[in-house]
Amino acid sequence: MAEVVLKNVNKIYEGGNKVVTDVNFTVKDKEFVVLVGPSGCGKTTTLRMIAGLEEITSGEIFIDGNLVNNLPPKDRDIAMVFQNYALYPHMTVYENMAFGLKLKKVDKKEIESRVNEAAKILGLENYLNRKPKALSGGQRQRVAVGRAIVRKPKVFLFDEPLSNLDAKLRVQMRTEISKLHKQLGATMIYVTHDQTEAMTMGDRIVILKDGIVNQVDTPLNLYNKPINQFVAGFIGSPAMNFLNGTIYESEKLRFKSSGGAIDFEFDPNHANKMRQHAGKEIVIGIRPENIVTEINGFESISFLANIEVIETMGNESFVYFQLDGVQIISRIKSKENLMHGSKLQMYFEPDRIYFFDKETGKRLS
Amino acid sequence: MIKKIFLYGFLIITSLVTLVPFIWMLGASFMNDGAASVFPPIFIPDPFTLVQYKTLLEKLNITQNFINSLTLSISVTIVSLFFNSMAGYAFAKYRFGGKKFLFNLLLSSMIIPSQVTMLPLFLLLKSMGFINTYMAIIIPGMANIFGIFLIRQYCLAIPDSLIEAARIDGATDFQIYRKVILPLAIPILVTLAIFSFLGTWNDFLWPLIVLTDDSMYTLPVSLANLMLEHTKDPELMMAGSVVTIIPVIIVFLALQKYYIKGIMMGSVKE
Repeated sequence: MAEVVLKNVNKIYEGGNKVVTDVNFTVKDKEFVVLVGPSGCGKTTTLRMIAGLEEITSGEIFIDGNLVNNLPPKDRDIAMVFQNYALYPHMTVYENMAFGLKLKKVDKKEIESRVNEAAKILGLENYLNRKPKALSGGQRQRVAVGRAIVRKPKVFLFDEPLSNLDAKLRVQMRTEISKLHKQLGATMIYVTHDQTEAMTMGDRIVILKDGIVNQVDTPLNLYNKPINQFVAGFIGSPAMNFLNGTIYESEKLRFKSSGGAIDFEFDPNHANKMRQHAGKEIVIGIRPENIVTEINGFESISFLANIEVIETMGNESFVYFQLDGVQIISRIKSKENLMHGSKLQMYFEPDRIYFFDKETGKRLS
Repeated sequence: MIKKIFLYGFLIITSLVTLVPFIWMLGASFMNDGAASVFPPIFIPDPFTLVQYKTLLEKLNITQNFINSLTLSISVTIVSLFFNSMAGYAFAKYRFGGKKFLFNLLLSSMIIPSQVTMLPLFLLLKSMGFINTYMAIIIPGMANIFGIFLIRQYCLAIPDSLIEAARIDGATDFQIYRKVILPLAIPILVTLAIFSFLGTWNDFLWPLIVLTDDSMYTLPVSLANLMLEHTKDPELMMAGSVVTIIPVIIVFLALQKYYIKGIMMGSVKE
């Protein structure tokens, strides 16, 4: 078992700077959990506390049922892959991968066997005698992963390992790490600021903002049921569109955006839930793929969009226009006669609209 | 083109002018007694003779002085590299209370001339019973703020993640220092070794103060004595000078690329 549990973990630096606030989550055995969030959200600090590279101000961290707060990194049975690879430049690939095992006085034959096995998994057999400076970025990252694999740790920790790679290599390595996870069946905690990496790799995702855990859930649940406006806007590419407005009563319960571009009636189901917020300013959110050019029924959430920019991706296009002075992005099937300045009748899919409290950002429905 | 010719010409002439005393010194060391005291000076010995070196080795115990100098230079170099590198690494990469204050205090000690501390240092070593021993040279040379500063600056550039990776791999602090930091710090260590070796080899005043027996004298001290006793034997004195500077030249030529790199370190952002 290699479960990692964080209980009420806080980190406050000298000077009172609180970077991690009351973090609670569990990484189950063999699970791949991604910590994601914008820069400065505390994800790397959290990872480093799990690794033992940062002291915990308060709270508890358990690895495999053992409290590790006061254990040095080497006694926590973890391995870490760093953003800048952190390979020993004066050692060969073989020596880099064998270093930890030599320190543990593992038998030479065993070291050789483990290093060769890891090299085979990672396609590094022909590079064992090279030094890091003679390797490409992707190869160096694989060596860093190999150095972690040979130790057969309980938990693998990844600190933005793909950030220094080019876009194409990042996609390739993402797949390789995911395959590695399936192959090794190990518990992995992965830090990234890239929500695409988080969505494609994680069994579950922990979203952090300003040191606080906003939501812990599967990628699909985060996408479909974001707990607040931040999560809704962070997950998904292109990001969710937001419009301010007010709920008001006029025979039926309705929403009107602040500039009047959008004005629609709530369906009976939503009306029951939202009636309590009548008269309140709220924020509605809608994903680009839910702003469509054809819809059956519910024509009340329609508007004429004045196209400003079209980004053609091939089969689909991203269309940019303004509503109430706010830039809106829609993802639609590519149309040949569409260009800058075109006017297009568009619709919000009503059952795909999210409602958020304007002050707290919490999702209302 | 003319500018280049002028520049190269100027550099060659200046180099030759600088080298002339050394060339004469070398030539005079292979001359018979009295052959060097002529004007205009002769550079090529005729006849070529090793009699001056023979006199140094057989009559004036220069071998023992050479061994003293070599032993002390190597010992001080090794010991100072050890302590300076540990201190420099600690100041660069460790967090501990009073670090900034301590480092600034050490830096400020550089403004104190060495002559001011010679007497208290002498009295301290005398009370420890180290006068006229190798320890009188080695102990004061064990660590110095210049070396600590040089290594600290170099270690600051070593990524913290490298040390953290080693820590996660299971290395103790000393193992990190020995297996990760030292190999990476070879260029600066070699530079410091050159400074240390040359400094100890060429040191005259302190060995003169703390070493009282002829048999303990280092080469610069014995050469100074030679000059006092054999003022009318410039050939013998030049032979003594050659013996003194040859190891220095060898060390410098062998390691000069590290020396130049070490001096330039920190001057340009990489």
